[in-house]
Amino acid sequence: MIAGIVLLAGGAAAGVFGSLLGLGGGILIVPLLTLVFGLPLREAVAVSLVSVIVTSSASAGVYLQRHTANLRLGMVLELFTASGALVGGLVAFLLSDRVLAGLFAALLAWVAVSMLRAGAKSKAAAAQAAVGPSASAQSPSSETVGPAEPAPGSFTATLGGDGYSVRKLPLGMVGSVFAGLVSAILGVGGGIVKVPVMNLVMGVPLKVATATSNMMIGITATSSAVIYLLRGQIDPYVAGPTALGVFAGAMIGSRIAARIDVRLLRWLFVIVLIFNAFQMGTKALAQ
Amino acid sequence: MSGATGTMAASPASGADTARRLESAVARLLTIGTRIAVSLVLIGVVLMLAAGVHPLTATFGAFSLAAIPGDLVALRPEGFLWTGLLVVMAMPVGRVVVSGFGFFGAGDRRLALVSLLVVLVLTVSVIAAQGLGG
Repeated sequence: MIAGIVLLAGGAAAGVFGSLLGLGGGILIVPLLTLVFGLPLREAVAVSLVSVIVTSSASAGVYLQRHTANLRLGMVLELFTASGALVGGLVAFLLSDRVLAGLFAALLAWVAVSMLRAGAKSKAAAAQAAVGPSASAQSPSSETVGPAEPAPGSFTATLGGDGYSVRKLPLGMVGSVFAGLVSAILGVGGGIVKVPVMNLVMGVPLKVATATSNMMIGITATSSAVIYLLRGQIDPYVAGPTALGVFAGAMIGSRIAARIDVRLLRWLFVIVLIFNAFQMGTKALAQ
Repeated sequence: MSGATGTMAASPASGADTARRLESAVARLLTIGTRIAVSLVLIGVVLMLAAGVHPLTATFGAFSLAAIPGDLVALRPEGFLWTGLLVVMAMPVGRVVVSGFGFFGAGDRRLALVSLLVVLVLTVSVIAAQGLGG
């Protein structure tokens, strides 16, 4: 009984952290299940995929109701994330636990570095805002820099939204395949790839990119989750409490987000990520 | 999404209405589906805890669709857990199917085709998993 409650609590903690920092729970669930509960890595990835589908569906419902997510763009890109996830789900069974642990360690280190850079950027932006609007006007944001608008009447032109056009669709498709691969092999939502691709490469506003990526996670993760399910890698006794905990945690996180100092949390999270990356790296080298 | 308006109907205003109606319908599906899935998993977890099942050491049987009705009737935790997890995985598929019909109904054949292709990829996933030894 205690183990079930601990799994619930662990999932809830991952859900709260993930929600507060704008990440899916996968980046925390996989290390939690492998390093703390001793689950085989592939089983942990399978459980994580189920958990991220639950949180994705719940938040996608809200985003679509508020018309924040771009359903049309999401549909097009998820064809490519699903294809990547299909390949990734099959490739994952060819990789040894050692290789998987090494890849996960690399992902954790990458996310830690990205979070540090994001923190530094927001600090610089705050300093620039304090100097005055003229200073910030001299350095245009990534959203204003880019190639010409898509040709009127083209398929790409139909994928834009209020106040923005979608650019470089082929690059977005390639990025989506990669996001699907990462998601299926490592059990994460893939937002860490999709959001920058949509925002920086395709010119989609960050808020819309985040909402659309979240919506896409469901189909991306399902494409590989069915492979894990049919190959006997999903343990319902672990997946049930963990997914429930992550769902509850994400709900709590979204309600307390406004009252939490995310800067301190970000630093704490970076430390956790680096520690987990080290542990996963050790696992990869030791096995 | 204004971008949706141009392709979904002749009139921009009605196109925007169609897009918003479709988004609202999909949102409702996801919200209701999540509630059902979470409720089923919750029942499964409560039954599991009540039965004293240790989740980290208990052996679980291979997934079998045929065994689920019997497990549900017998109030066995795995019946509710598997059903809940299946609903979880069915939700995104349902979203794609509903969206596909919505796009098709609005005359947007390209997006309807994209939806169909997404369902095809998922079907290939199932076939590939079964073909590789289940």
